[in-house]
Amino acid sequence: MSQHLPNLNYLDPELLQKLGDLELIAREVVEGLRAGSHRSPLKGFSTEFAHHRQYAPGDAIRDLDWRVYGRTERYYTKLYEAETNFDCHLLMDASSSMTYGSGKVSKLEYSKYLAAALSYLILNQRDSVGLSVFDSEMRAHLPPRSAMSIILQIEKILKEITPTPKTSIAKQLNDIALQIKRRSFVILISDLFSDVGDIMRGLQRLRYGGHNVIVFHTLDPHELKFPFKGTWQFDGLEGEEELITQPERIREDYLTNLNAYLEQLQSGCIGSGVDYTLVETSRPLDSLLSEFLETRSLNMMGPSVGARS
Amino acid sequence: MSFLNPWMLLGGLGIALPILAHLLNRHEVRRTDWAAMHFLNRNVRVRSRQIRLRDLLLLCLRCLALLLLVFALARPIWKNEDSSWLPGEPRAGVVIALDASFSMEHGGGDSRRFDRALEQVNVISEKIQPGDPVTLILLGGEDKVLIRNMAFDRDRFRDLLQSAKVAPVGLDLDRVPKRLKELLDDMEAPKKEVYFITDVQARDWRRSSARFHETLAELRNDAEVFLVPVPGAPANLAVTELNLVSGVLRKGTIARYQATVHNYGEVPVLDVAVQCRVEGVQIDSKRIPVIAAGASETVSLFVPFHNAGSTRITAEITGDLLPSDNVRRVVAVVRDRVSVLCVDGSGGAAGRLIMASLLARGDGAKDEDYVVRSVPWLTLPAEPLEEVDVLIFADVPEVTPEQVVQLSRHVRNGNGLVWFAGPNVKAAAWNERTASGSNPLLPAKLGAPVDSRTSEGAGRPLDPAMPDHSVCLPLQSLPEDLFSETRFLTRLNVEPSSSSFPILSLAGSNAPILLEHSLGRGHVFQFATSAETSWNNMALTPVFPMLMQQIVNYLAGREFEQPRLVGDSLSLSYVEQPDASDAVFDTPSNESIAVPVREHRDQFVAMLENSGEAGFYVARVSVQAPGMPIAVNVDPRESDVTSLSASDLNENLEGADITVVASESELVAAIDASRTGRSSWRYLLITGFILLLLESLFAEFLRKRKRSRSKQAEPIPDNLTGVQDA
Repeated sequence: MSQHLPNLNYLDPELLQKLGDLELIAREVVEGLRAGSHRSPLKGFSTEFAHHRQYAPGDAIRDLDWRVYGRTERYYTKLYEAETNFDCHLLMDASSSMTYGSGKVSKLEYSKYLAAALSYLILNQRDSVGLSVFDSEMRAHLPPRSAMSIILQIEKILKEITPTPKTSIAKQLNDIALQIKRRSFVILISDLFSDVGDIMRGLQRLRYGGHNVIVFHTLDPHELKFPFKGTWQFDGLEGEEELITQPERIREDYLTNLNAYLEQLQSGCIGSGVDYTLVETSRPLDSLLSEFLETRSLNMMGPSVGARS
Repeated sequence: MSFLNPWMLLGGLGIALPILAHLLNRHEVRRTDWAAMHFLNRNVRVRSRQIRLRDLLLLCLRCLALLLLVFALARPIWKNEDSSWLPGEPRAGVVIALDASFSMEHGGGDSRRFDRALEQVNVISEKIQPGDPVTLILLGGEDKVLIRNMAFDRDRFRDLLQSAKVAPVGLDLDRVPKRLKELLDDMEAPKKEVYFITDVQARDWRRSSARFHETLAELRNDAEVFLVPVPGAPANLAVTELNLVSGVLRKGTIARYQATVHNYGEVPVLDVAVQCRVEGVQIDSKRIPVIAAGASETVSLFVPFHNAGSTRITAEITGDLLPSDNVRRVVAVVRDRVSVLCVDGSGGAAGRLIMASLLARGDGAKDEDYVVRSVPWLTLPAEPLEEVDVLIFADVPEVTPEQVVQLSRHVRNGNGLVWFAGPNVKAAAWNERTASGSNPLLPAKLGAPVDSRTSEGAGRPLDPAMPDHSVCLPLQSLPEDLFSETRFLTRLNVEPSSSSFPILSLAGSNAPILLEHSLGRGHVFQFATSAETSWNNMALTPVFPMLMQQIVNYLAGREFEQPRLVGDSLSLSYVEQPDASDAVFDTPSNESIAVPVREHRDQFVAMLENSGEAGFYVARVSVQAPGMPIAVNVDPRESDVTSLSASDLNENLEGADITVVASESELVAAIDASRTGRSSWRYLLITGFILLLLESLFAEFLRKRKRSRSKQAEPIPDNLTGVQDA
C-alpha cells in the first residue's frame, strides 16, 4: 500500500485537505431531500425555476404558467429545481476475510479510511451520514445525522472494529433495508467474498426500497493477480481448511474463477442499477475518490438518476 | 587409477549446487493468510513427503550425472590389469621420432634405411586409435616437427608422412632424449609411447654420453620407449676433404687441390674414380686403385684458373650407396693480381727476410701479377694502400691515429694485415691507438717483451694451437725435427681480445705466438715475436716461408672461400652501412631468402641462421648485385654409416629399460603387450549425459503429470458463480 494512508488516524488532516478539493465535485453530484448545498436533479416543488415543459394530463394545474399561455395560448408547466440534502448509510463489512493485506494495509484498514473519508465529504456538504458495521451480525449502528460531531463517533466505531470469521451480507442488507425509512444513499464497502446470489438479493432489496446503492468492492492486489511462486500454504481467514500448493500451477484456474466471479458481480450490479466500483487497495485513496466522483458526475445524466424517479 | 586432468576433479565441488538448490527449495514452503480460498483449486495439493521423495530422486540423478561428467572430464585411466572388465579402449599418445640424418639415405633404390623406417612408422600407425594424439619428429640438424599433437587421422597422417625427407645433416644423439621429453611433456594422453626409429650408427652410439643414457632412462618415467633399429651395411665411400694445397689463387695460375676419400666399409674398395669439376665442367679425373677398409686415400687435383672471380670447384666420386657425401665443394676467389707491401721498422732486416720468404717459390721468379715490396715505415703515408692486398707491419714503432683509421678501413674492405712485434715497437702507443674500442685493429693488447727460453737457455719450439687452421696445414707435412728447429728466445706478452684466437703458440707454455681475428671482410694476423732474427730463428727455418706464403694465400683469399657445413650460419659482412636493408641468399635449390642486415658491434652483417642444404649458396648484398658463391658440404662425420650390432645395442642400452624391437612382428607384439591402460572417459561422459537426459525427462514427466492433475481440478462451487438467478 502506498504511503498516502496514515496508519491510525482515519481523519488525517493531510488527507482531509486533499478531500476538501473533492467537495466541489461532490456538490455537483449527490442528491438529498433536505435543502443543502446540493442541487437536486429531481425537478420538483421548489422555488428555483428550472425550465418549462409542455403540459401533460395529470400535471398539477397550479404549476401551469399562465403568462406563457397568455402569450402563446399553449399550456406549459413550470418546473423548479430544488436544493436538496440526503441521508447516507455507510455499510462496512468487518468479517475476517477483510483483514487480508499483502502490503502494509489490509482491506479492512483501507475500507476504514474510505468510510471515514466519505463521511467527512458528506458531512462537509451538510448532509447526514450514518454507519453500520456488520459481519455475521450487526456489530454497530449509527443513524444518519448531519452534525459534524458524528464524525468522532464514526471514527470511534471504526477504531473499535474487531473482525469475526463469518459474513452474511444478504441478511445484513435486508435488515438495513428494513431500518431505513427514507430514500437514502447506501454505500456498501466489502470484499463480497460470499455467495453472489445472496449478495445480489440483498442489494436488490435495497434498490426496491428506492435507495441509491453504491458498492465499493475492496480487493487486495494479490487477490486480483495471484502472483505467488514456489510452494505456499494458504490459511483460510474464515475457518476454511489450509491448502499447501504450488500457486503457479493453479494460477490460471484461480484467475479464471475470479474473473468469472467479478464479471457476474458487475453484470448483476449493472442489471440492478447498483453503482459498482472495484477498489484495489494499492490505489491511493484520493485518486480513487476523485475518479469515482468524476464517474458519478458523468453518470448523473444516465439511467441511474432516472431509476430513482 | 590416475587422472589426466586431476584438477578437473575440483569440479566435483559443483555437486554442492544441486544440493544447495534442493535444501533451499525444501525450506521454501511459505505461509500466508488468504481470504479468497474459494477460488483455489484444492486438487493441486502438494504433500510434503511426495515432494521429498520426488526431489530426492531428481537430486540423486542430478548429482550422479554431475559426478560422472566431472569424473569423465578428469580423464581417469585404469592401468591395472584387473580393471579390464571396465568399458574402455587401450589408447595412447604416440611420439614417433624418425632419424632423418643423411646416413638414413644409405642403401639406394627401394631398400634405403629411411624407406624401411617409414614402413615401421606405418606399422606403428596401424595401432594408433583415431583421435589419439600423435607427434612425428624428423631428427637431425635443427629437428623438424612434422606433426605435433595431431588427433590421429589415418589418411591425413599418411599424407603428412609423404613429406618426410632425409636432411643432409648429422644426428646429435645426445640431444634426442631431451627433445623427446619436451614433446612428451607437450602431449596429453592417458599413456604415452615413444618410438625412436634410427639406423643406430655405431659412431654416435658408442660415443653417446652418460647424460644421454640418464635422460633416456628418465623418459621411461613419462612413456613407454621403443627403439626400432633399421640397421644397414656399413659399406660407404665419402669425399671427406677438398683443400687447396699449393698455388696462389690468381688468374693464369694452376692451383693444386687435394681430395680425400675415406672408405668407411669393412672391405677394401678397388678402383675409385675421383672427378674434379670447375663450374660444372670436368677438368681433372684421378683414380685410386684401392682404398683399404677404414682408410683414407688422397688424390691431387690440378685446377687451372683462366678467369678472375669466384670459381666453384667440386670433387666427386660415383657409384656409392650413400650419394650425399660423394661430393665435396669449395669456392676459389681468383684474383687478377696479388700485391704484398711490407712496412719495415727494423731498418731493413725484417723486410728482406719477409720478401725472401714470400718469393721463395717453385718457379723461383717474380711475375707481374705477384708483387712483393718492402718500404721503410716512415714512408708509409705516401703509399697507395688501395692496390695492396696484404700489408705486413714488421717492427714498426708506432702509427698515427689517422693511419689506424686508414688501416682499419683497408682490412674491413677484405684485405689482410700481418703484424710482427720487434724491439722497436712502442707497445703503449700501439695499445692506445689499435687495441681499444669495440673493434680493435689488432687481435691482442701488447705487453712487455718476456724471455721465453727454457731453463737450459734454449728457445722454445712452436706448437700449433689450431692444427686444422689452413695456415697450419702445410706445417703438418714438415718432418718433426725440421718443425722443432724453430726456437723462440723472446716474445711479447700479449693479452688477446675476446674475438681473437691463437693459431700458433709456444710449446709447453701455451703463450700465443700467432693470433688471428677478423675485421669486417678481412683478417688480421698478429705475431707476438719478431720477423727478424733477434728474438727467434724462425726466419732461418723452412717454417717461415711456408707460414708466410700460406698466410698471404689465406689473407688474399676472399670471404666464403672456406666451405661451410650444412647447418652452419652464413654471414655476409659489409664495410659500411648498406643501402639495401636486406641481403639475398640463393639456396642450391634456387630458392631466394632475404635476410635483414643488422648492426653488430659497429659492423653490418647479414646472417642466414641455418644453411639447410648441401651445395653452392649464392650471397648477394642486394637483389641486383653480383653473387658470391659459398660452398656448403655435408658433415663427413655422419658418413660413417656402420650400425651397432644387436648385441652391442643391448649392451649399450643396458639398464635403460627400453624395448628394442628388431622386426615388424616384434614391434606389433610389443605394442600390444604394453598398451594395457584403459581410458573410459568417453563412456563416462556419455553415461553422464544420458543421466542428465533421464533427469530432465523425468522432471518433465512429473511436471506434465501435475499439470494434467490440475486440469482435472474440481469445478468452482456453484455458490461462487451462480449469479444468474440474482
